[in-house]
Amino acid sequence: MRRIFYAIALCFGTVMAAQAQELQTILQTHADEIAKPSRKTVNVALEDLVASGLPTVPGFLEAWVEKSVWQRGDGQFFIGAVEDDQINLRDVDSGAESTADKSDFKQLKPNGGVRRVIGTALVQFQLSDDNLTRRTTAVASIARRPAADQLAPLLASVEGEPDPALKARKIQLANFLSARFADNPEDRITAINSLAKDTSVEARSVLNQILQNSSGVAPSEPEGNIARILDPMQAPDAYYAELVEAGFAPARTGPAVIRAALEANIVDGRVGNIPLAQLGTDAARERAYAALAKEGLAPPLVTTQTRDHALGEYVFYDLYDEPNAEITAAAEAALSSVEQRVAFAQAADLALDGLSLASIYFLAAIGLAITFGVMGVINMAHGEFIMMGAYTGYVVQTFIPDYTVSILVALPLAFAITFGAGVTMERLVIRHLYHRPLETLLATFGISIALQQLAKNIFGTQARPLTSPDWLDGAWVISDVIAISYIRIAIFVLALLFLALILFVLKRTRLGLEVRAVTQNPGMAASMGINPDRINMLTFGLGSGIAGIAGVAIGLYAKVTSEMGADYIVQSFMTVVVGGVGNVWGTLAGASMIGFLQKGIEWLNPSNTLAAQTYMILFIILFIQFRPKGIVALKGRAAAD
Amino acid sequence: MRKSFLSENPSVLWFIAALGLFTLMVTLLSEATGAGLISTSFVKTLGKTLCLCLIAIAMDVVWGYCGILSLGHFAFFGIGGYAIGMWLMYARTEGIVLESLAGQTIPPTPQEISDAIGNQIFGVVGSSEFPMIWAFADSLFLQLLMVVLVPGLLALVFGWLAFRSRVTGVYLSILTQAMTLALSLYLFQNDSGLRGNNGLSGLQNIPGFEGTPQSTIAIVFFLISAAALGAGYVFFAWIVSGKMGSVIKGIRDNEARVRFLGYHVESYKLFVFTITAVISGIAGALYYPQAGIINPGEIAPIASIYLAVWVAIGGRGRLYGAVIGAAFVSLLSSWFTGGGAPDINLGFYTIQWTDWWLVLLGVSFVAVTLLFPKGIGGLFDYLVRKQP
Repeated sequence: MRRIFYAIALCFGTVMAAQAQELQTILQTHADEIAKPSRKTVNVALEDLVASGLPTVPGFLEAWVEKSVWQRGDGQFFIGAVEDDQINLRDVDSGAESTADKSDFKQLKPNGGVRRVIGTALVQFQLSDDNLTRRTTAVASIARRPAADQLAPLLASVEGEPDPALKARKIQLANFLSARFADNPEDRITAINSLAKDTSVEARSVLNQILQNSSGVAPSEPEGNIARILDPMQAPDAYYAELVEAGFAPARTGPAVIRAALEANIVDGRVGNIPLAQLGTDAARERAYAALAKEGLAPPLVTTQTRDHALGEYVFYDLYDEPNAEITAAAEAALSSVEQRVAFAQAADLALDGLSLASIYFLAAIGLAITFGVMGVINMAHGEFIMMGAYTGYVVQTFIPDYTVSILVALPLAFAITFGAGVTMERLVIRHLYHRPLETLLATFGISIALQQLAKNIFGTQARPLTSPDWLDGAWVISDVIAISYIRIAIFVLALLFLALILFVLKRTRLGLEVRAVTQNPGMAASMGINPDRINMLTFGLGSGIAGIAGVAIGLYAKVTSEMGADYIVQSFMTVVVGGVGNVWGTLAGASMIGFLQKGIEWLNPSNTLAAQTYMILFIILFIQFRPKGIVALKGRAAAD
Repeated sequence: MRKSFLSENPSVLWFIAALGLFTLMVTLLSEATGAGLISTSFVKTLGKTLCLCLIAIAMDVVWGYCGILSLGHFAFFGIGGYAIGMWLMYARTEGIVLESLAGQTIPPTPQEISDAIGNQIFGVVGSSEFPMIWAFADSLFLQLLMVVLVPGLLALVFGWLAFRSRVTGVYLSILTQAMTLALSLYLFQNDSGLRGNNGLSGLQNIPGFEGTPQSTIAIVFFLISAAALGAGYVFFAWIVSGKMGSVIKGIRDNEARVRFLGYHVESYKLFVFTITAVISGIAGALYYPQAGIINPGEIAPIASIYLAVWVAIGGRGRLYGAVIGAAFVSLLSSWFTGGGAPDINLGFYTIQWTDWWLVLLGVSFVAVTLLFPKGIGGLFDYLVRKQP
């Protein structure tokens, strides 16, 4: 009766007990429980202490947990600290300080279990403490170890909480607690229903804990809240093993057991009157074993038939720990609704992943969209231009320690270097091969292996770091399920910028006009006063330079090695071919398709990115069969060849 | 018919004669049968080189004669190697397992034997089950059939799809490269059933010939490879001569014109693509027992590009050019990367050929493409024509 009274008093957060009472008096009432507490007895004392509502109680409890409460010979309690042989004492009520000889005092040393009980009692004081940090810590400690008795104090503290964020958190936590521990089933169901919209990991774990169940086997259907009855024929061997473990059936005699039994019973080169040489088949061994079992030399054989029969005799079930079926039903419903929401969120997350992969492919391929797509030059060394850009970034970082500045320097420098390399290559090699595309492929491949090996000779085989600036670290977390790292957002933005830039250059500038003229009809363009040589050189340089910038971006999130270009080259070519040659929009479409597709396949088979790549390539091969010109096919004169 | 074919193509006779002479010399100088001047490992290198020459002439037919730059023929080579490797590994492991189980009092059941073999072979990838594709691994005959059938069928299906939708030129090259990449990525997985990146190993031990010294096995494989190369050479020379050869060369030079003349271009291309894939598979099946190990890295797209490089350096459109290119570049490559070439000290920097060989190869490849599009074989033509 008194207990309920005190609980109510606590819930209203008002001080009902007599103010005039002194802490020492209460302590003396429970002197034995406090001096030699156990987890069971300490509760009585704690209840009285908490109920007293004295402002000195929290301080005393904290001191008690920290083992700095001392008992004098006459039974009085003090808070104290030892200094040499002396002890500095503080009165539990007045706080008056004094010093005394240590020998007269005994330290209270509550064990771990008791300290935890005291700590729980303390939490309710900390929940309404003046200090925000202490309140936050108390809430966090409840969240870490939720228990039934924290619900009431938590609810009581919600009203007076001044900090809005913490208040929301308290309400959420109180909801979690009442879903699991509220006394009234209806309250629990209300709380559970309100969790149906919460996709956080915490809410899901609350629901899962309510739905915790254990599987078992019994001769007949047991009492209690049964989650489901299982069909043992789904996995007969596993269920039979359960049966054996429960002691309802003899162990299955596997091939190894049979073999051991046979070996143990060899008589004159025969087992069960069957010669050893004939025991090379399972059937013969079973016959021999049956003979042994007949003679009582081995336990009888459990055949598939006996196994199935035994399985039919028993009921296999999952039993909820929670006895109330209404509550588990509500939790099941809430969980399935939550899981649906989580699935949506995961789809959104997958879409974000796909988008970021698509922008990486787009960045890697867009230079190629110009050299291969617009000019028709197969540049197998394109990947090596990406690598050159990434190494440029690395070298710049070794000279400029500030990562932000070094990236800003590296981007134009990478463009300049790869632009130069592209122009050189075009002048020396490619312009001699404009009408022999297959030979261009092979010659640029020669350049590719030479460049790759050169990079290996200069920078070594191990991966070099290209560190991103601090402001690109971390991730944008939208919810527990959806998150995307800033570096991927940056790559996405960069890809968009490039798309705009390329479209602008090709469609709105004099250079773009001349490029399009030269690719459509070089002879006609030349007679209009355009110098095709110069245009080809510049276009190739532009495509290569963009590959260099893409290299810096890719190097920021992937490793910089001499082989990184080779990782992207086949994908890049496929991006351009799938999208449709000769069209920047096509490259965008191709990159999006390949990026989303790869993420989608990875989602279907998450453990295996290699398989995802394999299936994606197979899909692309098939796709090209049915749309040989790609997604965005050129029509009319532009597609003349 | 046969007589006129040979008399029309004296270069075939010359080639066979040269190959025969070379084979005879190596056999006489080898450790197993003769003077012992050529070490067993070098006999193996030469045998492997002959297999590479065989796939190079296949590549030459499909690229140099038919104009299809396939970057996937080394994948067929690898499939052939895997097919024979499965039998070699299975049969050898079976022998070892039977030997170890023989000591037991009770004879093993077929299931126990199969489990033990599975454990031995697939233990490295954390499995002991035999995947479906190993169903025929216990039969040499069926696996030999797979050497021919799997590359042939793959090439047939792939080629039919590609040629049907008129994918030509560089698009086809990229597509074949994608196919090769897909295959090697697939094989790199541990659950592909072919031991992931461990590949198949111990292939140099031929089941049933455990007592035979490696020197003898090496020379036997060398002779088989030489015979295969000779047969393949004659076969391809026969294909590219005569009317069919003319059509094939016509497709290379102007596909549309041949189609308008009424020939079914796709069928010719498909035939060439498939038959060269089959020969590539056979070459692989001869190569890997001499190499001893095969792993997915061998199938990577770069290998197929190297194949094109050999043919280009040797000279496209002439079969002996492909043989010369493959033999020359692959032997030179193993000489340079094996540390055989002396380092060059420039005073301020020492050029170590193990590091710089690929740079040299890449640059010389660009030079050959630009300056000598006919390759080394073109040099022969030049010399032959100069003679009165």
